[in-house]
Amino acid sequence: MSEAVAIAHDGHSHDGHGHDAGHGHDAGHGHHQLTENNFLGLPNIKLAMWAFLGSECMFFGSLIGTYFFYREMSLGGPMPEDIFDVNITSISTFLLLMSSVTMALAVDNARQRNFGKMRAFILATAAQGAAFVGFQIYEFSHFVAHGLKLSTSLFGSTFYTMTGFHGAHVSVGVIWLVMVALLATQGKLNKDKIAINVEVMGLYWHFVDIVWIIIFTFVYLLEFTR
Amino acid sequence: MSHPTHADGGHDLPHSHQKHYLIVAAVLTVVTAVEIGILFLPAVNGTWWVVPFIGVLAVFKFGLVVGEFMHLRPDHGVYKFLFMSPMFLALFSFIALSALAVVTYQPFGGGYAITQRDRKAGFVPPSAGGGFEVAWPEDKLKAAFAEAEKGGFAKGKATFASTCANCHRGDGGGMPALGPNMTDDCFKHGGSLAELYTTIGKGVQGTAMPAWSTSMSPDAIRQAAFFVRSLKGKNVAGGLECVGTKVAD
Repeated sequence: MSEAVAIAHDGHSHDGHGHDAGHGHDAGHGHHQLTENNFLGLPNIKLAMWAFLGSECMFFGSLIGTYFFYREMSLGGPMPEDIFDVNITSISTFLLLMSSVTMALAVDNARQRNFGKMRAFILATAAQGAAFVGFQIYEFSHFVAHGLKLSTSLFGSTFYTMTGFHGAHVSVGVIWLVMVALLATQGKLNKDKIAINVEVMGLYWHFVDIVWIIIFTFVYLLEFTR
Repeated sequence: MSHPTHADGGHDLPHSHQKHYLIVAAVLTVVTAVEIGILFLPAVNGTWWVVPFIGVLAVFKFGLVVGEFMHLRPDHGVYKFLFMSPMFLALFSFIALSALAVVTYQPFGGGYAITQRDRKAGFVPPSAGGGFEVAWPEDKLKAAFAEAEKGGFAKGKATFASTCANCHRGDGGGMPALGPNMTDDCFKHGGSLAELYTTIGKGVQGTAMPAWSTSMSPDAIRQAAFFVRSLKGKNVAGGLECVGTKVAD
């Protein structure tokens, strides 16, 4: 294994091995000292996250697909156009979108080893994520007050399952972000691994954002087209 | 993109992408504003291209976040493969599900249930919402029952499967606290054809049983009543305990 790592290490200085070792890929820069790298010279933790996010595509793809399969098939209860509020959802959508920017800046600062700024951006990301979850709690309770429950109709079942799982993902992300920020405050993070760890956390966070980009457009905005 | 040199073998810092990220953020903001704003333009909202247009914008935003923020565009092909192959699988399942929904769509759910889409399309059964029509006399009902029996109670069976089965179970055995067993000899509100028709049409106050005459035609209700009556005495396995009065014939 150490041989493979050595090759990956060399890949940056000797042009001959460059292409095999992921040469020319920006994100590979900080990783050459990691012992967890595999024979590709890529960090396993990042490979694992991308593989996980691939499976998450299938997960959310099925939930959104099911929502569309049963769209307009409800027999009673409030319908989407009766209860969706484009203003409130636009605000929460914008917050989540901007949280992706602060996340990207946190990753950038982690790579630059500006750990103070990194922590600030991580906390800003967590705050926006928490606000998004707050908006979702408000939205759900508003919908329930209007008579839409999980068992009311096909709309209720598919909508709450889909957006509920997304909200759960955001919540997990917020907990993750806050924990990393706390560990950074206490100086308990391994300074050599912090960049890759924050980057992988960022991948998860951005994924949660892109799922919402799809849900916001195809579930919410679609109801307001004439 | 050029590489930092590794001369000292120590901590070379990669380039900062902060400016790039802020530009991407500005683009994302503008695109989202366009997406939402376009719905408030009465002249534009309603034209055929609005839905495909906001769809393309969403895909563009998706690509921007994945490609730039998640850094997949300049990153290693293995990451692209790991993420994008299941992503396309998900996309294809989504398209297949949507196509299936279009292909299998039938007004009234294939039975007599009125969905939101039926209402939007203007499909409404002749007397739906027109109030409850009084039951036919028993002899006329019996003749119609015999007629339905020849057809194997096909219409009523379909209604039962799409509507009644939700609370009375697929085989009519009943569900606790929802709907009683339809396959024993007991009826809470009478087992004659006219009584069954009335119970289905008017519902039962204070229970989970709705008044189906608001969404089903009298004929559909009659056919459902016939099928329910045909279940009497079948005593399916695992059915609920008898509630109500035993009806002899």
